[in-house]
Amino acid sequence: MPKVHKKELVEANVYDAALERVRDCYRRFDKVVVSFSGGKDSTVVLNLALQVAREEGRLPLDVYFWDEEAIHPETIDYVRRVAEMEEVRFKWLCTPIVHRNACSRKEPYWTCWDPEKKDLWCRPMPPEGVITFPGFEPGKGVPELAHKVYGPEHGTVADLRGLRADESLRRYRAVAMRLKDNWIGGARDGYSYPCSPIYDWTTADVWTAPRMFGWDYNRAYDLMAMAGMSPHDQRVCPPYGEEPLKGLWIYAQCWPDLWEKMIARVPGAATAGRYAKTELYGWGKMEKPPPGMTWKQWTFSQLDLYPKEYRTAIAASIKSLLARHRQLTGRPVQMEKADPLTGISWRYLAMLVNRGDLKARRAGSMTAQATNARKGADMSEFEDGEAGTRY
Amino acid sequence: MAKPAHVTSAIEGQPVSAVVWRHREELSPNDFNPNKVAAPEMKLLITSILEDGWTQPIVILPDMTIVDGFHRYTVSGYPELEERFGGWVPTVIVDADPLHHRMSTIRHNRARGTHGVVPMADIVRFLSDQGADKEEIMKRLSMEDEEVDRLLDRAGMPSGGGKDNFGHAWRPKAN
Repeated sequence: MPKVHKKELVEANVYDAALERVRDCYRRFDKVVVSFSGGKDSTVVLNLALQVAREEGRLPLDVYFWDEEAIHPETIDYVRRVAEMEEVRFKWLCTPIVHRNACSRKEPYWTCWDPEKKDLWCRPMPPEGVITFPGFEPGKGVPELAHKVYGPEHGTVADLRGLRADESLRRYRAVAMRLKDNWIGGARDGYSYPCSPIYDWTTADVWTAPRMFGWDYNRAYDLMAMAGMSPHDQRVCPPYGEEPLKGLWIYAQCWPDLWEKMIARVPGAATAGRYAKTELYGWGKMEKPPPGMTWKQWTFSQLDLYPKEYRTAIAASIKSLLARHRQLTGRPVQMEKADPLTGISWRYLAMLVNRGDLKARRAGSMTAQATNARKGADMSEFEDGEAGTRY
Repeated sequence: MAKPAHVTSAIEGQPVSAVVWRHREELSPNDFNPNKVAAPEMKLLITSILEDGWTQPIVILPDMTIVDGFHRYTVSGYPELEERFGGWVPTVIVDADPLHHRMSTIRHNRARGTHGVVPMADIVRFLSDQGADKEEIMKRLSMEDEEVDRLLDRAGMPSGGGKDNFGHAWRPKAN
């Protein structure tokens, strides 16, 4: 099993270290591109890359942006200001991409800019929008398509992203598994390398940079801050996913016009806006199953609420957890108490099914569940650390 | 402006056309109310009744069970209000079976909007420009320090903050 390493502080500050990593990219790869979301993290990556591109005489900088349709007006304005920069060559992608819709059991995915749902689009397609690119395939999500935006004809590609370790345990692991080049991911299709040059920045560091250098940034953050959302929770990302769900309320307060379109856009959004932070959406610790049911019965009755194709996927992941449990121990799975070795209980499985969390993203590894069970820790406490996947 | 006859009769039949003052002891709460009002909003409710007066009646069934207005009923027994109104509250009667009764409670509570942040900030700015100081806004709108500050402070960097220096870089530690 690969080892997750601890942190070792180095002499440099995060800014100098990140610049050095970007310089490294320019030395090692044929092409450097920035995956830009309009969010605070990609603002940092963009500005670092611009600075190095200037030093290296490699302007204009290639920047691409997935326009996810349900985005704040301030994000659109900011992205447009970036797209119009002379030093930038911008790709504004309004391609129909599949995203998670954690609001709904009946339609757990949605497709932005779906040509068949044009009447429901949250906004008209922007004039800069590109609806396809070579290598685009319908029905796919960002993780499968990102590297195809700049194809192998460019040689090796460094795809710079704003991923940071302090966003979640999952992200920490992603940059703490290897000692050398820990911030460069494996090549996709042999030529495109996801690079995370600001992996060690904290949220405070990310705001220090625009403050220190006077960089432009997305004014949506001003609104979110005003509404009382904590800096760590302020995100610019697809709104209906697992993790952003708990921040859905912010749309109604900050962007009521957008919110009105958003609740009509995907099923379940209005319900999730109201109940995302309650046990209806598996938030926190579920106290008990519905009256007259055991946790086990509830697991199966919830499974029946999903359409067949998703039901099969969820059932398969539950089955594999159970198979693993049986492999490791002869103990039966308890209703409430997490098994000390495997971390499983029927309550836990019911919660997974309730969330429809197909990738068990908010669930954490079973090893960690078991450790927590031994420590007697509340499971929900652990889940929060695990949160934070955008796609 | 003259009302057509059918409108006049419709208006006469409306519950608000027959507001009756009753003593709170005649009323009884229902046992299913899902609406919870947090302490700061309870205080705000008292302030509202003291400053704006009673502007909305409590909605009850013919048997005096409350459909809407449980929290107004509750605060009417608090010393600040009891002293002035002696526990008397305005009421209107609606007739409803148990099913309609529950639906009516939910509709009364949920048929309302969300306050947008920007217009709220504009209002707080207006109050401040008109000479209301922070303490007064906090007290009369039952807002925390934090909320008033954030609403007043619309410009500038997000308070997420930023520091004057960057933190240390790190790498995975060999061991």
